[in-house]
Amino acid sequence: MHVNRHGRLAPAAVTQVRFRNLRVSAGAAYVLLMALAVLFVGPFVWLLLAALKTRDEWAAVPTRILPHEAQWGNFVHALTDINFPAYAANSLFLSTIYAVLITASSAAVGFGFARLRGRAKRGLFLVLLSTMMLPQILTLLPTYVLFSRLGLVNTYWPWVLWGLAASPYLVFLFRQFFAAIPRELEDAAIIDGCGWARIFLRIFLPLSRPVLLTSFLLSFTWTWGDYIAPALLLDVDHTTLSVAITAWYRDPHGNAIPTVQAAAAALYVVPALLIFLFAQRYFIRSVVASGVKG
Amino acid sequence: MARNSWSRYSNRSFYLFVSPWVLGFLLLTAAPLAYAFGVSLTNFDGSSPRWRWVGFRNYVELFGDKEAWAALLRTVAYTGIAVPLSVAGALGLAVLLNRRLKAVGLWRTLFFLPSVVPVVAMAIMWKLVLNKDAGILNAILNSVGVKSISWLVDPMAFYALIILTLWGLGGGMVIMLAALQGVPAELEEAAIVDGANRWRVFRHITVPMISPVIFFQVVTGVIATFQIVVQPLLLAETNSIAGVGQVPQSTHLYMVQVYQEFFTSSRFGYGSAMLWVFFLVILAFTLLVQRSSRLWVHYEVDTDSDR
Repeated sequence: MHVNRHGRLAPAAVTQVRFRNLRVSAGAAYVLLMALAVLFVGPFVWLLLAALKTRDEWAAVPTRILPHEAQWGNFVHALTDINFPAYAANSLFLSTIYAVLITASSAAVGFGFARLRGRAKRGLFLVLLSTMMLPQILTLLPTYVLFSRLGLVNTYWPWVLWGLAASPYLVFLFRQFFAAIPRELEDAAIIDGCGWARIFLRIFLPLSRPVLLTSFLLSFTWTWGDYIAPALLLDVDHTTLSVAITAWYRDPHGNAIPTVQAAAAALYVVPALLIFLFAQRYFIRSVVASGVKG
Repeated sequence: MARNSWSRYSNRSFYLFVSPWVLGFLLLTAAPLAYAFGVSLTNFDGSSPRWRWVGFRNYVELFGDKEAWAALLRTVAYTGIAVPLSVAGALGLAVLLNRRLKAVGLWRTLFFLPSVVPVVAMAIMWKLVLNKDAGILNAILNSVGVKSISWLVDPMAFYALIILTLWGLGGGMVIMLAALQGVPAELEEAAIVDGANRWRVFRHITVPMISPVIFFQVVTGVIATFQIVVQPLLLAETNSIAGVGQVPQSTHLYMVQVYQEFFTSSRFGYGSAMLWVFFLVILAFTLLVQRSSRLWVHYEVDTDSDR
């Protein structure tokens, strides 16, 4: 009996053809995958190696691969040369506020588009879809000018406002999920006299826990990884880790210290990678939902 | 019949639920765009209250601005190279992973990982890899007898930027992989039984079946690479937006030019005009592509139906 990868029985002839092809190419595939893996993982390894070298070892000619002795002190410098904990706290605070707000607002809007009816709903949804295509970078500069005139620069209000405004991408994610929930659930609640707000909060929201988590993690990493908005809107005291590690590891001569910066970058990237590794299936779900359903 | 006039739906509840996005769209997307259009008709410099209306003079000047045209062409060239390579690379990786492999999950994680690395960390990593004297890439090249290459200055910075972009193609790979797994195995197997070789099956069955996904990847890829500004900025020796003028010529893309007009030249009016022209270019591109998609994208279901 031969079972193909979809778990269906396959005719023996087909399986044999496939099997022969596979045997020849499987070895080659692994070699190719190994080579590609080196390309994709190499920069991480090189970053960690740089973070463990002395400055002389880093600059040595010919290039040194391994440090003579691991310089863990670079990490201490990364944490203390600039006020790393304070910037990390700013990043954490901003990312959390933004992620909580945008998840809540996007869930509500997604619910509206999935389960409710109203005038011009179709037109509005088309506008929403087309703003998914609109580069945020286009509106960021005028937004920056507007916000600075309104006195919102050096505050976290812009992130609160962006969070409240929902993200078309996340709205779409929630809408797809809510639209697939059977109507009977809603009917029962309506007969019991529930309003839409209660139906949303008591029935739909608890059901959507995986999507809520996806949305939270995704939007958290957006803000954690964002450079341009904090660089434009926040000053030295209020800014985030992403801006701080870019510029401020300097020796007294004003030269960048690559080894300490590498250590800082490693510390900065770790939370993002941990979130990703623990929640990979949520990330994949969101990526696939946006890309395949388009 | 009174029962039929009752409706569980009301405009009020719908608008209440979607109001966060509607208000957000009006105040945080439409208003800034409208404001930018207003500013683009002035000679505003970002701070001085003594600005005045100049009509469409900024747009006229932009039309004859050689630097802006060069930046736009560079952006088109960068997009024209980076997008096909990333989409093809993503598809190739997905095909490679879409078979009976050991530890498929591990490989997928490895290739997906770079696409979730924040741009700042990505730039720091690649500056270390591409460093002329201490970078690993030149060390490898030296060991096979190739002289060190100055990756981060002209003219190589352009290719460094493309390498950086390609490194993040894992997101596309995940999408392609999901699409490939949606292609019915019977179709491919039937073709093999009929004597088609693997390449013909891939070319004439697999690719048409996943063409909507490929299409979507190309469109979003083009829009994403068109607006790139942070990567050239962070790959350059400069470390702040104010240093945007130090971005190498070869990675001086359109949005880099816009930032330079805003923050080096303090020409907010002119920069806003550049933004609006870019907005229209992207809009036109999107519409054009949507129109042409019916010619070559194979949709299994009618795209006009709502669900």
